Formats: sequence, C-alpha cells, structure tokens
Amino acid sequence: MIGFDIVGFMISWLTLFGIYAILALTLNLESGTAGITNFGKVVFYGVGAYVSATLTAYLILILNGVDVSETPPYGIRGIILLGELGNKNPLLNIGLLVLSLVIAFAVSGVLGYLLTYPILRVGPAFVGFTLLSSGELLRIFLQHYEPVGASKGLMAIPTPFGWIADSRLREVTYLGLVLGLLAVTYVVTHRLVNSPLGRTLRALRDDEIAALCLGKHVPRIKATILFIGSGVAGMAGVLLTYYLTSVNPNMFVPAVTFNVWAMIILGGFGNLKGSLLGASVITFVDRVLTFVTPQLGIAAISPDYLRWVIVGLLIVVVLLVNPRGLLPEKPIRTPAVDVILEEFRGESK
Amino acid sequence: MSSMLEVRDVAKYFGGVKALDGVSLTVPEKGLIGLIGPNGSGKTTLFNVITGFYVPDRGSVLFRESNDLVRIDGLNPNEVFKRGIVRTFQIPRLFNSLTVLENLLVTPLGQRGENPVRALLRNSWSAQERELAKKAIELLKAFNMLRYANSKISELSAAHIKMLETIRGLMTPAKLYLLDEPAAGVDYLMAKELFTYVRRLRDEHNLTFFIIEHRLEILMEYVDYVYVLHNGKLLSEGKPQEVISDPKVIEAYIGV
Ligand SMILES: Nc1ncnc2c1ncn2[C@@H]1O[C@H](COP(=O)(O)OP(=O)(O)OP(=O)(O)O)[C@@H](O)[C@H]1O
Ligand SMILES: [Mg+2]
Repeated sequence: MIGFDIVGFMISWLTLFGIYAILALTLNLESGTAGITNFGKVVFYGVGAYVSATLTAYLILILNGVDVSETPPYGIRGIILLGELGNKNPLLNIGLLVLSLVIAFAVSGVLGYLLTYPILRVGPAFVGFTLLSSGELLRIFLQHYEPVGASKGLMAIPTPFGWIADSRLREVTYLGLVLGLLAVTYVVTHRLVNSPLGRTLRALRDDEIAALCLGKHVPRIKATILFIGSGVAGMAGVLLTYYLTSVNPNMFVPAVTFNVWAMIILGGFGNLKGSLLGASVITFVDRVLTFVTPQLGIAAISPDYLRWVIVGLLIVVVLLVNPRGLLPEKPIRTPAVDVILEEFRGESK
Repeated sequence: MSSMLEVRDVAKYFGGVKALDGVSLTVPEKGLIGLIGPNGSGKTTLFNVITGFYVPDRGSVLFRESNDLVRIDGLNPNEVFKRGIVRTFQIPRLFNSLTVLENLLVTPLGQRGENPVRALLRNSWSAQERELAKKAIELLKAFNMLRYANSKISELSAAHIKMLETIRGLMTPAKLYLLDEPAAGVDYLMAKELFTYVRRLRDEHNLTFFIIEHRLEILMEYVDYVYVLHNGKLLSEGKPQEVISDPKVIEAYIGV
C-alpha cells in the first residue's frame, strides 16, 4: 500500500466516530434506557444538517449583499459565490456554527417532541414505524423542495474553520470541536441515566402500566426524552454538514438509523460506554473499507454492501457470545447506592 | 365511620359481556375490606375502573379528599395514584431490571432528580435521594426484606414479590390500597404473614385496604367486612361469618 495516509485516516475515522457516537449515545438513552423504539433517528439528524446548511448558505450570501432571489445558493453562480465569499470572516463562520447548533437543537428537539407526543400512547412498534415513515416523508419532501436545492441539495457550504489555511490544522481543529461536543453529550447522557430520572426511564421500559399506576406521566416523560435526544441528534447533523460541506436528501435514508441501531446493539443496550465502543467499531469498518477498497482495485464488490455484511456478521457473532452486547447495562449510580452500602457496613460491625 | 371510597351503580360492558352490572359499595376509612367472587365475576374489572384503566359505562366512583368525596372515575391511572390510591396486580408488576431498593425508589412523586435539567446537577437532588433511600431501608427493615435490597426481582420468592409490590406504595402518602389476590401463589404461612403485615399497616399507619382474594380461609380471618360479586352484580355482603354461611354465596361458589 503505497502512500497510505495514516494521519488522514485517523482524522477522518475519529470525526465520523464522533458524529455517530453522539447519535448512538442519544439513541441509547431513548431506546436502550427508556425503551422508546426510535426508528426515525435519521429525521432529526437530517433536519439538523439541513438547518445548518440552509442557514449558513443563505446568510453568507445575504450578509455579503447577494440577492438570493436572483442568485440562490443552489444555483451554479450561488455555489461559486459561496466558495469565493465563504471564508473571509472567521467571526461570521464561527457565529454561524453556534447559531446552527442552537437552532438545530431547537428545531429537531421540538419536532421530536411534537412527532412523538400523540403517538406515544400506542404500542412501541407503532411508534417505531411512524417515525420510520416520517423520515421517508421528510426525504421525499426535501427531494422536491427547491429552496434547499431539491434532489441536488446544497453544496460548497462554508465551514466554521474554513479560514484556517493549513488543511491538516483545519481538520484537526474540526475534530476537536466534534470530540468536544461528544464529550458534552456523554456527560449529559451519563448524568441523566444515573439519576432518579434514569431510574424512572428504566421503570417505564420494564413496565409502562406499573409506572403509570405509580403516577408517572408516561407520554410526557417519553416526549421529553425524545426532545433531548432529537435535539442533540440535530446538533450531530450540524457537525455532519460542516464536515462534508454539502447536504442532499440521499444522505438521510433509513439505513442511517439502522446503522446507529447496530452500534447500540453491538455495544450493549443501555450501556453508554458500549455505544462509544459500537460507534468506534462500525465507523472503523466503514472507514477502512472506504480507504482500502479503491487501493485494492476491487470494483466488483461495492464497499457499501461489504459494510453491511461485515456489520451483520459482527452483530451475530457478538450476540451469540453475549446476547446483551459487548458491554451489558450497569446498575444506576445514585447516592442511594452509598446509603445502602453504609447500612450494610454498619450492620456487619 | 366515614367512607374512603364509594362505588355507585357502576357498570362496565365488554361487548355482550356485562363484567360489572350496577355495582354499589362502600369502603370505610381504615377499613380492611374483602372482595370475593367466582372467576370472571368482575373483581379485577372493578379495580380497573377505580384506578382509571376503564371509564365506566354507567355510574361513578368517589374518593375521599379531606372532608369531601370527589369523583375520580374518568381520571387517568397516574392521576388516580396522585389522589392517594395504590394498587397491586393479580400478576405482580415490578420493574425487573431494577433492584428491590430501586423499585421502592421509583415510587415517590416530586423527586427533584426526575426533572431533566435538575438531573444534570447532582447537588440539587442528592440530599433528597439519600433521604428517600433511608426511608426505603426503614421499610425493608420493617418487612424483613433488607437483605434483598440489592437483589433483582427475579431472585425473590413469590411472597416477597407480592410484599414488595404492596410496600412500594408506602413510599408515598397513599391512603387506599387495592390488592388483587395478594396471597395467590404464596404458601400458607407466608400468606398469613402478609395479611398480618397488612393489618399492622392499617393499624399503625391508618391506611385503608380493599382486597380481592380467592383464598377465603386466609382472607376471612383478617377482614372486617366482605363484598361478594357474581356475574358483575353484588351478590351478598356482610361480616365474614355471615357471608360464608350465606346460601347464595355457597351456591355461587359451588355452582361454578
Ligand atoms: N379487557 C376486557 N375485554 C373483554 N372482556 C373482559 C376484559 N376484561 C375482563 N373481561 C371479562 O369480564 C369478566 C370479568 O373479568 P374480571 O377479570 O373482572 O374477573 P375476576 O373476578 O377478576 O376473575 P378472576 O377471579 O379470575 O381474576 C370476564 O368475563 C372477563 O372475561
Ligand atoms: Mg381478577
């Protein structure tokens, strides 16, 4: 293998890992801990990606005095202008990043809340399929909605660190941002799981009827969790947009959702570290295939198919060894654990 | 004695099945009241109506709230719980992935750490959590179950499962307990122990119990008053000895 760029590989793998790990952590909170079958993860990811792409492309043009009704960002001239104007003002670029993150969180979060609130009163399979089809509806809508570029999508989207001249440094800075957001997501989900809320979520997952009989407002709790999970997934979408500098409807197929499901099943349902592990393994396979197959010159097998075969095999093997995934769910850590340990210690004296 | 719960002319139909067909009864404050009847006579359905799982087709359910009786039929189960009614199920419903201690800790309402924003700030809820844990430990001690605090539900005996389902309600200031066949599947001595606990709870904590039970030999020893359902209608009522010797009741039980 001549000229294998190991650093480039690591950066691209870790960036992709960071984005997917954010999705996996939130899905694990929703589905692993709270038991909500979210087959629509891609909806909120896609909405976040489109929010940031649209916001950034339009605002860059408008703030530079371009009339977007004549020169829209999806047209050839718009794309060229975005390239020329995009990286002139670092403050603007970073401001757009922050704005995108905030708005993507809000829009995806509210959408998650609204979409699920009415349907959470029905069975889990129904929730799953409603969310799954919402994703497809959104994709078909985007394919035909001209202002966001219809089936071509939006391209040449200026990135937050585009003004950094050295491309390696730019990539590493971006990786830092992605891993920073991943760290925040981990801390937040970890605290939510290891709290009275986390305990109540597991209770809902175990027996919704019993939780209802103990006064828990089951639909509201689930909708709140979907607000949080979907909002954060929207932020992951923002990170994806700036990483790829483009969006189009075909990036947001249901397979994305199932890829994230594969990560949490592989890593362990209800275990957050497992989600990190699952995300790292599956994105690694993905990156290796993308890097290696062109160099081997194999055209007969598309890396896309190979990826699914490998992921499927991995899951089957891991679940045969341990049906609960690589890292099984851990007991909840709250101060109650300390109280009972003190009690037992006091007794044995 | 004033009533804790009043069921007035309640009917519940499932298609052609008249599960409840005009039932009226009263559960007095601090009562230990039994509800018996052959299989399919409508006992569980009555509990389901009281706790908000079903809206009755006719009639009303009233529950004591300070000095008034307030209608609770039509409320959702979570709202009924908040008024102070706890129920257990014919087939116990506990949280299987949680420990015994955690099962108790799920119950209390108004936990600060259940709010997603506060959950992030440990300091805002850890003191309350410790208090609740201590309360749960006291309960487990009182019911001789402390050594199971960290056990999973699957490691408990049938009797302990029934017991845990009953005492988790004690984590809240609930007033009325509806127990659906607490002695089913429990051996004789444990069942008697369970009923002794129930009586103790009634006496020491001023709670009210309404209990469905098929094991009459145990139930009758403990309850003050019994209602008998048959085909969705009240067949008989009275003190245990009166009911047991009522020819209508004997016929209903033998006739099945
Ligand atoms: N959800 C339902 N749908 C249709 N029929 C029902 C439903 N729930 C109860 N029934 C019917 O209503 C009648 C009363 O049932 P219920 O469960 O209240 O009896 P029960 O007195 O609790 O009996 P058991 O002692 O066997 O528990 C039965 O004929 C039952 O089949
Ligand atoms: Mg029953």
